[in-house]
Amino acid sequence: MHGSSHLLNWILWMPFIGVLGNLLIPGSKKNAIRYWSLINTAITFILTLVLYKNFDTSVAGMQEAYNFSIPWIKQFNIFYTVGVDGISLPMIILTGLLFFLCILSSWTVEKSVKGYFSLFLFLQASVFGVFLSLDFFLFYVFWEVMLIPMFFLIGIWGGENKEYAAVKFFLYTFFGSILMLVGMVALYYAKGKGVDAFNILALSGGQFTDLKLSMFGSEFSFDKLFFVFMFIGFAIKVPVFPFHTWLPHAHVQAPTAVSVILAGVLLKMGTYGFLRIAYPIFPSASVYFADAIAWLGLVNVIYGAFCAMAQTDVKKLVAYSSVSHMGFVMLGLAAMTTQGMNGAVLQMFNHGTSTAMMFLLIGILYERSHHRYIVRPDGSKGFGGLYTQLPKFSIVFIIAMFASMGLPGLSGFISEALIFLGIYERYTTITVLALIGLLLGAAYLLWMFKRMFFGDVIEECKSYTDMNAREIAYMLPLCVAVIVFGIYPAPILNMMKASVGSLVKLLGTY
Amino acid sequence: MDYTIWTIAPIVLLPFFAFVINAFIVKKFTKLAVAISCAAILGSFGFATRIFSDFVFGKYAEDYHIHKVFNWFDLSYGSQIFKLDMGIYIDNMSAVMLFMVTGVASLIHIFSTYYMAEDKRFGRFFVYMSLFTSAMLGLVLSDNLLSVFIFWELMGFCSYSLIGFYYEKEGAGNASMKAFMTTRVGDVFFLLGILAIWSVVGNVTFVDIYRAISDGSFNSLYALGIPLATFAGFSIFMGTIGKSAQFPLQVWLPDAMFGPTPCSALIHAATMVAAGVYLSLRMYPLMEIGHLTTMIAYIGGITAFGAATIALVQTDIKAVLAYSTISQLGYMVLGVGVGSYNAAFMHLITHAVFKACLFLSAGSVIHSLHDHHTHEHVQEMPRMGGLRHKMPFTFWAMMFCTLAIAGVPFFSGFVSKDRILGDALLMALANKTYIVPMVLGFGGALLTAFYMFRMMFLTFFGEPRDKDLYDHTKKEKFSLNRNFPLLLLSVFTLGVFFSGSLTGQGFIKVASEKRYEWFKVLITKPKVEKFASYERQPWGHTDIKSNFQLSEAKYDYNYGLSAKEAHHIHHWHLIGALISIFIAFSGIFIAYMMYIKKAWNPGWWVSMFTRWYRALQNRYYFDDFYIGGLIKKGLLPFNNLLAFIDMGLYDRYAIDGWEKVNRAFYTVSGWFDNIFVDTIAVDGTGASVRLFNVVLRMIQSGKIQLYFMIIVFTLVGFIWTL
Repeated sequence: MHGSSHLLNWILWMPFIGVLGNLLIPGSKKNAIRYWSLINTAITFILTLVLYKNFDTSVAGMQEAYNFSIPWIKQFNIFYTVGVDGISLPMIILTGLLFFLCILSSWTVEKSVKGYFSLFLFLQASVFGVFLSLDFFLFYVFWEVMLIPMFFLIGIWGGENKEYAAVKFFLYTFFGSILMLVGMVALYYAKGKGVDAFNILALSGGQFTDLKLSMFGSEFSFDKLFFVFMFIGFAIKVPVFPFHTWLPHAHVQAPTAVSVILAGVLLKMGTYGFLRIAYPIFPSASVYFADAIAWLGLVNVIYGAFCAMAQTDVKKLVAYSSVSHMGFVMLGLAAMTTQGMNGAVLQMFNHGTSTAMMFLLIGILYERSHHRYIVRPDGSKGFGGLYTQLPKFSIVFIIAMFASMGLPGLSGFISEALIFLGIYERYTTITVLALIGLLLGAAYLLWMFKRMFFGDVIEECKSYTDMNAREIAYMLPLCVAVIVFGIYPAPILNMMKASVGSLVKLLGTY
Repeated sequence: MDYTIWTIAPIVLLPFFAFVINAFIVKKFTKLAVAISCAAILGSFGFATRIFSDFVFGKYAEDYHIHKVFNWFDLSYGSQIFKLDMGIYIDNMSAVMLFMVTGVASLIHIFSTYYMAEDKRFGRFFVYMSLFTSAMLGLVLSDNLLSVFIFWELMGFCSYSLIGFYYEKEGAGNASMKAFMTTRVGDVFFLLGILAIWSVVGNVTFVDIYRAISDGSFNSLYALGIPLATFAGFSIFMGTIGKSAQFPLQVWLPDAMFGPTPCSALIHAATMVAAGVYLSLRMYPLMEIGHLTTMIAYIGGITAFGAATIALVQTDIKAVLAYSTISQLGYMVLGVGVGSYNAAFMHLITHAVFKACLFLSAGSVIHSLHDHHTHEHVQEMPRMGGLRHKMPFTFWAMMFCTLAIAGVPFFSGFVSKDRILGDALLMALANKTYIVPMVLGFGGALLTAFYMFRMMFLTFFGEPRDKDLYDHTKKEKFSLNRNFPLLLLSVFTLGVFFSGSLTGQGFIKVASEKRYEWFKVLITKPKVEKFASYERQPWGHTDIKSNFQLSEAKYDYNYGLSAKEAHHIHHWHLIGALISIFIAFSGIFIAYMMYIKKAWNPGWWVSMFTRWYRALQNRYYFDDFYIGGLIKKGLLPFNNLLAFIDMGLYDRYAIDGWEKVNRAFYTVSGWFDNIFVDTIAVDGTGASVRLFNVVLRMIQSGKIQLYFMIIVFTLVGFIWTL
């Protein structure tokens, strides 16, 4: 199934070219490495936009023109297959954009620049791999490979407790991956080890619905069992309660750009896994477990919000707010209606932009303050009067904050409204409870804002300087995205609606 | 000329584009930004005037409307249909609203050029004002609840920014957050109501909701065990409670006075708080079939009376006005509750005019009073007095508005409030449950007349109590941007503009033709039946107004009632009017005796009712209960507990605990490996070889004696065994 274009290969391997280039530049030429990485990610981002421009929104499945498949390990029928549809395209564009901006925000990294940027580009390649793979084995490989750069990026360039966070992140995700691996192998055998036994599209459609499995002397439903396996694997990445505790550690310890990528892109890999693998391959089990997913999503929303409100570390607060917001995505996924699912995918994109803004802003602040306490452990203020001291920063912060809490006119609102419209018909009680999350979401953000930005400028904040040109340069595209897609979301919704619609249709038959 | 999109949309778009442009240029070109903002709002006033004059004077039919729809986004795929349309809907009510909002906002803009001129964030203020006005206008033009919600929240954001405008002050931060969060409680319910309606109707366009109501689609549907119409209606009304500062969510409005005074005029008179009442009027048919009117009447009555009592003890001039706003909003809600649809809306309009004027006048007073020691403007009434000599224009403007709000005949407040109270009286006669709201309404009217005149007397009459401050105050000279808005607004506090007759009771008619009572004729409850077979019009469709003109003969002067019913109503309205007139003058008289004649000592009342006085000063302890109780004692400890459970227990033991389990495993397995496998099995093998090796080496020593001995011993042993 060769298409006429190699564009996806270019997108996927362009960051590797960047890595190779970085390796050829001497480590002492820091600026050369930075500029090379910047150019590289810029090209990648432009390629994703080219992909968007040529994307045929009326096609529900994979875009024929971009499919690319060659055998990789013939003996086991493993292929190198990449493709793009309306669900992966928003994620690909988001990845292209955020990595480009993160390179700009990483300009101030001084510790072994060469290693940092190389690992960062390596991370980008593996993320693209996850979003582009249509071969389960290839998907799995990229999923795992992604851990390597993350482990080092957190473990070397992280904060004071970086080793702990890095190991925790690695092991936690790895635990989920193993379950996924078992599921993958089971599917391989259930499909009869044929040429399409690893092909995600060939596995999809609900062919395993009636399959039974004997194990430990009793019979299990094949699809329910392995749906749960897959679910845990992806849920850890989202993270769904109760698999969420790696996230605050990883976020707090990770350097700014890595936090941005972690919250902006990597969390979406989990929900993307549901949309690409768990739902299409096990549709009947997905419908069967929808109630559980909805309740877990609800717990995420409420619990994350409550925990966020108690935090005194800004970054940890935003990390918990991610838990809360990803809960909305889970609610949308559980709704399994047109509005809900579209809302969920849109929320994946919108959370990517708004939370990226939050983390970038906190990074900017951290570079000036070298601490992140809203309230110090001794009870004194960590920040105060930032509104007066940093006016530009404050305005961008307000945009990010209100986008994050779902103010109409900014991007978060439409996706949340769609999710609620989708879920209300199926789970009225859950909807009513989840609305509390909206309330709390505004509360913790505004409370944080009030404590940090209002009032007199405290002594240590008086030396802070406002955002410089480079910082404005990488915040501006996100501001524009958040506002434009808040007023006019149709460009994103149009590209996804056919693909999401066909998935909803598939789920609707069970 | 007939209506196309380009004659309607600019009403919203002009202020919005002013906002967009100003957001970028405000830093460098402050003056230009201000000019753009003012020009934009005046422009949209022009467009609104055209619609208003068409609807009101153009003899449009009373139930005519313009409705235009465009698609926002479409998620349909195959047989799954999901479309989201946005649109413009104008009927008589929105036409009046548009005219009022643009008119009042224009005057507030003009006044702000005086009030804010010396402020270092002069330009930024106008940025927010433009966004705010456009959000309100967008809300009025909306054809569906979702876009109402969008603009509703945008206004929430603007009020957050305006209340927190002086962000150096810690208090501004608290107040803005409180305002946003309190209204957000209502907003979340509102969203829930939208979801509930959506599940029945399939969208939330007003016309489709009306149609669904007339079809009976809401009948015998339940949500969480509650009839769906009640559930949805209540949720939406909660939005009103939040936005219009009704009991029990009234706490945010007094704190909102932290913002600059002109923004108080905009938020608390013409726009945001009015939006709440506007919403419940729009959704009136739903409230009716949800059997919510009694509850609404109670909420309105309690708010109207309770806020008036608190206003009695305020010493800050803006605080008095803040509580009077809550109280007047209570009257509007009471009007909705007693089915006084027309009068409730009329009160919204009349209140918007006189309250905007009151706030601007208060601003004018505050701005002139500059304390030379603290370099702050004075808002405390105990430091004022006798100011009518210093600022005559402001005094007269404020006096007219006070007469209006107090319910003195010939003024607008009397016309509208009295009709609400008359309807409340009628309802109480028909249904005993309405007696309480009715009594509260009349009681509140007494208090209103009293505290408003108390404010006037303390501010403008008597001797100056702070001589130093008084002497430093300049005498007011007529200036266009300061006094013109005040005086123009105060002209429109005359009831004749709204009722067509001087009192609204038909005593003295200035016009013989009853159609000059335009308000009564034009504003009617939405007739849901007429939407039974309704077809939407897409963009680009031109409305031909001649198609919809109604000949004068078709006007129904009794508004659909029989002559006998109309007479009955008229009779009781008359009695109600007499009672209110009596009440208004008693309130004024008491205030006069206390603060001008000083015959009655207010201190005596304070010492008599100390506990009540303290309760009033503490706003009935609502803030203590919400912030000190619910939030500080409930929410925050709960958060901390959850966060502790999450990180301190769950993560530490359930997740990191696996490390301990793992350590136990690897210790045991390491030990096993070390002792058994390695030491005993592996090294043991080696050791045994070594042992054997030692023995062998010992034997193979090469000494002939040893070999000989071995032979001997072996032989001996051999023989022995034989």
